[in-house]
Amino acid sequence: MGRSPSDLIVFVAKRLVQLVPVLFGVIVLTFFFTHLSVGNICNAWYPHAGQATIRNCLATTNQPILKQFSTYLVTLLQGNWGQSQSGVLVYPYIASAVPATLELVLAALFLMIVVGIPLGVIAAQYSGRWGDHLVRVLYLSGWATPTYLGAVIAAVFIGPYVGLPNHGEYSTLSPPFTQYTHLSVLDALLAGNLPYTIDAISHLILPATVLAFINMGIATRMTRASMLEVLPLDYVRSARMKGLTEFWVMYKHALRNALITTTTVLGVTAGGLLAGTVVVEEVFDWPGIGQYAYTAIGGGGSVPNYDGAIAVVIVFAIAVVLANLIADILYGVLDPRVDWR
Amino acid sequence: MTEPILRVENLSITYTVGAGEFQAVSDVSLEIYPGRVIGIVGETGCGKSTLAQAIPRLMPEPPASIGSGRIIFRGTDLVKVPKRKMPMVRGTGIGMIFQEPLNSLNPAYRVFDQIVEAIQIRHYREIGVVKSFQGGDVPFDYSKRPTTTVGSALTRSIVPGGAAEEAVKDRIRTRSDYRKEVLEYLRLVRINDPETIIDLYPHELSGGMRQRIMIAMALSEKPSLLIADEPTSALDVTIQAQVLTLMKDLIDEVHASILFISHDLGVIAETADEVGVMYAGRIIEYGPVDEVFRSPRHPYTKMLLAAAPRTYKSDGPLRSIPGNVPNLSRPPSGCRFHPRCPIARPICKGDAPPLAPVDPQGPDLTIGPHRSACYFAEEVPGLP
Repeated sequence: MGRSPSDLIVFVAKRLVQLVPVLFGVIVLTFFFTHLSVGNICNAWYPHAGQATIRNCLATTNQPILKQFSTYLVTLLQGNWGQSQSGVLVYPYIASAVPATLELVLAALFLMIVVGIPLGVIAAQYSGRWGDHLVRVLYLSGWATPTYLGAVIAAVFIGPYVGLPNHGEYSTLSPPFTQYTHLSVLDALLAGNLPYTIDAISHLILPATVLAFINMGIATRMTRASMLEVLPLDYVRSARMKGLTEFWVMYKHALRNALITTTTVLGVTAGGLLAGTVVVEEVFDWPGIGQYAYTAIGGGGSVPNYDGAIAVVIVFAIAVVLANLIADILYGVLDPRVDWR
Repeated sequence: MTEPILRVENLSITYTVGAGEFQAVSDVSLEIYPGRVIGIVGETGCGKSTLAQAIPRLMPEPPASIGSGRIIFRGTDLVKVPKRKMPMVRGTGIGMIFQEPLNSLNPAYRVFDQIVEAIQIRHYREIGVVKSFQGGDVPFDYSKRPTTTVGSALTRSIVPGGAAEEAVKDRIRTRSDYRKEVLEYLRLVRINDPETIIDLYPHELSGGMRQRIMIAMALSEKPSLLIADEPTSALDVTIQAQVLTLMKDLIDEVHASILFISHDLGVIAETADEVGVMYAGRIIEYGPVDEVFRSPRHPYTKMLLAAAPRTYKSDGPLRSIPGNVPNLSRPPSGCRFHPRCPIARPICKGDAPPLAPVDPQGPDLTIGPHRSACYFAEEVPGLP
């Protein structure tokens, strides 16, 4: 009986092992969809490229498909994710873009948790009364806002009005320190550069708020629903009977159990967010994976970059799978009834 | 004579469900004196659990509402206390043990965390970090409670005024202090191997074990009044007997004032000093447990006692009371038992009979005389 930390390591390790076939499946699907869906693949991929590029392309695509796949898999694992038509390598770019997106999503997630979850608690506490209706109006207006509209309004109107930057990660194009992690705030902190840290945070506020405002409804709604499920239960009554004030009854006893469901849903949402920041990143000129995806498929008049597009699909898939994995692990940690063995 | 810890006066509680109104408790009065155990017995739906939850104002309002009456706890009318101040009364003032031990513990926290929370609430109130309920004009005095001589040294040490009381005065307490105290309470409720149990989650414990922990949790706040709302009903028979024995031992050792709610006549007979019999939201008979059970003075009590199976193998079919429990949205006029009563007369349909002493000339016992809400109480002993 009981759960020990060593069991938790095994529990997490097991989930990580289960990840391997899932990722393999993702790569298989991405590869075969992209390589089998078009007839004349080289012309489709490189419409404006020179003969040399086409020749190179034909040399690989004329091989049997399974051979192509094994070659692709090996190069992928070696870190060679191809290059764009202008010769920019995909992998290094993605390696710096993913943390930028991750930072944005984590900031949005943080706002969703500290604002969205208490709002859900309030909505459940005053269910059917004014508080509930106000909260519903708030999260439904976020939910109903199209991302492009919310992003543009924030960037064009709100940003200049409240004096927050709406463009990029820092005020200067490249900061005067090495970006180890490509998480703008963390990099500035690591460099011990306080002005840049504040600068990075102020750049993060607007895009993260937009992302959080639009997606907060999920956190609020889930919290409200699971709180309403938990509140009539006997242990909430016994917590009240102990002499705890309503605040502790709500946030220590009821929410602790309601969070188990909310966490799972938030994990799934976070995965979706990692893949869904394309519009916000484009509007706020955030150097993340979403912006890269947009340019890779030829958005904004750029030259299509097929290796990049495929890489983005794989990264998105990995992000969703990993977010689910984290939600799964958190579920196991939060609910003591889940056995780690 | 000492002041009662709790005096309920003419309490009525109504549930409003949709367009209908159900008066779950009508005009109930009772008094609980320090160190006494008052039993409330009645059928399912007679309002006894509503009464139990109304005293610490625990029932959801709405749909429930207190129509009239007063709940005077240590001199303060709890009906008038604003809801946000009620937590101060709960726990250290009024403690409660619930019917459903399986769901009464929070599944997300270990036994230690749940009991320590109760101990901390009491501790912070004792040292004045958190405001506690002061009571009204009659502040409750622990010293008035009889000091116990029975029980182990251990249980005596946690009785108010005991050795543990001294230790509690220290403002700062470490986790291991708390752990020691939690272990004490686990031992008090006769848990074997408390060192293991303390670190377990509720789902790893049996129903009887969980109920013991609920009891430990309630006792750890040293409430002036403990309400036990059918503490044994949801347990299976052997565990029921164990928990009941424990409750009886604790009643003897801790000298708590207890309101014991049960539908089980045997349980009440074994634990309570006085008993109130409830029917359709009213107390229809009240008195010392021996007297009420030996010579009931209300036809309902008499028939209820006759209906209780006495031995495991009965010779004939079980006796039952003809008719049904009345619908509380449209209760019968007058005495609510009259449609089922063998000695009902026209007067019973008129005004409700008051809960009057059975023998007005009898000695005024300290624990109150035997009272019955029947116009023909003297005829009851002659009933078959």
